[in-house]
Amino acid sequence: MSLCQNRLAEERKQWRRDHPFGFYAKPQRSPQGVLDLKRWECAVPGKANTLWDGGLFKLEVTFPDEYPTKPPKCKFVPPLFHPNVYPSGTVCLSILNEEEAWKPAITIKQILLGIQDLLDDPNPESPAQAEAYNLFKRDKPAYEKKVRQVVKDNPPV
Amino acid sequence: MESDEDFMSVGSSNDDFLDTQDSDDDSLEDFGDDFDGGFSKDKDIIATSRKPYEVDFKVLSPGDIEREQNIQVTEVSSILGLPPESSAILLRYGRWNREKLIESYMDHPEQTLDAAGLGNHFETNPVTQKVPGFMCEICCEDGPDLETYAMRCGHRFCVDCYRHYLGQKIREEGEAARIECPGESCHLIVDSKSLELLVTRDLRDRYHALLMRTYVDDKENLRWCPAPNCEYAIDCPVKQRDLRRVVPTVQCFCKHFFCFGCTLNDHQPAPCLLVKMWLQKCEDDSETANWISANTKECPRCHSTIEKNGGCNHMTCRKCKHEFCWMCMGLWSEHGTSWYNCNRYEEKSGSEARTEQARSRASLERYLHYYNRYANHEQSAKLDKDLYLKTEKKMTSLQSQSGLSWIEVQFLETASQALQQCRQTLKWTYAFAYYLARNNLTEIFEDNQKDLEMAVESLSEMFEKPVPELSKLKVDILDKTAYCTKRRVILLSDTAENLKNGEWTFNMEW
Repeated sequence: MSLCQNRLAEERKQWRRDHPFGFYAKPQRSPQGVLDLKRWECAVPGKANTLWDGGLFKLEVTFPDEYPTKPPKCKFVPPLFHPNVYPSGTVCLSILNEEEAWKPAITIKQILLGIQDLLDDPNPESPAQAEAYNLFKRDKPAYEKKVRQVVKDNPPV
Repeated sequence: MESDEDFMSVGSSNDDFLDTQDSDDDSLEDFGDDFDGGFSKDKDIIATSRKPYEVDFKVLSPGDIEREQNIQVTEVSSILGLPPESSAILLRYGRWNREKLIESYMDHPEQTLDAAGLGNHFETNPVTQKVPGFMCEICCEDGPDLETYAMRCGHRFCVDCYRHYLGQKIREEGEAARIECPGESCHLIVDSKSLELLVTRDLRDRYHALLMRTYVDDKENLRWCPAPNCEYAIDCPVKQRDLRRVVPTVQCFCKHFFCFGCTLNDHQPAPCLLVKMWLQKCEDDSETANWISANTKECPRCHSTIEKNGGCNHMTCRKCKHEFCWMCMGLWSEHGTSWYNCNRYEEKSGSEARTEQARSRASLERYLHYYNRYANHEQSAKLDKDLYLKTEKKMTSLQSQSGLSWIEVQFLETASQALQQCRQTLKWTYAFAYYLARNNLTEIFEDNQKDLEMAVESLSEMFEKPVPELSKLKVDILDKTAYCTKRRVILLSDTAENLKNGEWTFNMEW
C-alpha cells in the first residue's frame, strides 16, 4: 500500500481508538459504498467558555496523493464566517501550508485541534475574507453578535 | 600575488592591447594607492587599481568558494568550541556575519543556539537505530527491523520517511540551510552530519551545491557570474551604498563582463540606479503615455483622450458632447463666425491646454533623441557581432589569400572586440546623458562622447571593407582600434572620476 493510504488507514485506526471530545472525523463513502480514505468528513466544536461554545462546524478534509509530504486541504462546508477562512471555506492556517509550518508528522487530530484553537484566536496577520476581518478589526460588538448567530446556525447533531 | 597578476591579464585583455600601444603602465604609479576610495580593505584583493573606472575584484571557482566557506567554519568552530557542523548552521543562520555572530553567541549562547535551530548539547556521531515497540509517526510502520533516526530533539522517524522528507526539501523546494526536523512544531535544523548519514549520494551533492549557493547569496562581497552555465563567483568589495559613486564592472574567467552592482551586462559609465530607471523607462508604457500626450488631446470638459484623425477643427466630444476648437482648445461658441479657421491664438480659454501639450512634446523629443542613439548603438553592436563571427572566416581566407600567418591576422579579432566594447559604452553614454543635468562638465563629456563615436564609426566602416583590402588596411585598423580604445578609456576615466567626486548633477531624484 502507498505511504498515503497506509498512513491514512492508521490515522483512522488511531482516531477510532481515541479522539478529543465533541469532534468527529471519518472517511467518506462513495455512492457505491466504497470507503475513500482521501476525503474525510470532520467537525470541530467551539471551545468551551468562548464565543464559539455550543457550535459544531463541519469540514471536508481532502488529502493529496503526496500526503503526508504535503498537507491536506481543510474546507468548512458551508463556508464559515471567520477572518481566516476564505470565501470558499478553505482554512488559512500556518500548519496547513507546506511553505510554512507543515510537517509530515502532523496528524488529523492535531490539525482539527489547531482549527479549534483558530476559531477563538484568529490571526489578523493573514485575513482570508473581508466580511469577518473588517468586523473583527473595526467593530468587535458586531463581530461577536455575528459569531453568536453563526453558532446558533450550527448546532451539534 | 602571482596568481593575481595572472588574473589581471585575463581580466583585461583589451586593455593589454592598449598597454602595448601607449604604455599605459605609467598610470599605475599615477593612480596607484590614492585611488582606491576605501574599496580595497580586504587584503586578499589586489591593492592597485589600474584606471579610475576599474575596481578590484577576484574570481572564485566552486572549489575556492567551498574552501573559503570551510575556513570560516573552522575558525568559528575553534573560537566558540563547537563542532564544525553546528558552527556551519550558526554561520548560515547569522548570514555569514562572523563578528556579529560570535558576539551574539558570547552574550547569549543558549538564545543564539535556539534561534539558529540548534539545541544546547551536541552529539558527535549520529547513528540510526532499531527501537523495539517503535511506530513511525509519518508512515505508521512498525516492526523490530525498522531503522530509525532522531536528532537530539528526540523526534524519531523511520529512515525511509526521514530520507523522503529530506529529498522533498532538497530536490523539490531547493532548501538546504534551514531544513527543520520533520516533527510537529520542532524548529531544530537538520545538520550536515545527520544529512550525510541519511541521504543518497546525488542528494548530498545537490545539498552541498545549495549550501554553497546560500554562502554566495548571503555574503555582500560575493556574487555569481550571471553568464549561462558559469560556475564562478566574483569577490568584489564594492558595497551597495557605493553604487552612486562607482560603476563596478568585473570580468569573470568565462570572459563575461558584467556589473557587480546589479549583475547586468557592462553598463559603464551609467551608474546602476540610472540604468534601472532607464531600462524601466524604455520598457514600460510610460512612453506610450508620452505618445498619447504628444499625439492626443483631452476633452477640456470630461478629459476623455481624443486623437484627431481627420476632419475639421470643430470637435464635439463623443462622450460629453462638449464642443471645442481643436486648435485653441477653447469653446467653439466663442469662435463666432470664424468657422473652421481658428486664428484666436492668444485666447485665454485655450492657452493652458496648449502649454501642457507643448511641454510633453518637448520631453518626448528629448527622450527620443537619446533613445534613438542608445538603440542605434545596441543595434550596431549586434551587427558588429555578426561581423565578428564572419571575421574568423575572413581571417582564414586572409591567411590563404595574402600569405599572412594566423598570428598576423589577429588584429581583426582585436578590432572586432574593441568595437563591441566601445559600442556598449557609447550606448550607455546616451542613457547617462539623458539623466545628466547641464553643468560645466557636460560639454567635456559630450566632446568625449563625440570623439569616441566618430572613432567607432570610422573603425566600423574600415571593418566592412572587402577581404582583399583588409590586409592593406592592417596598420590603419590597428591605429584606429588603439585610438577607439584610448578614447573609451578617456571617456570612462573622466566620467568615473566625476562620479566618484560627486561632480555630476542629475535631473531627477535617485
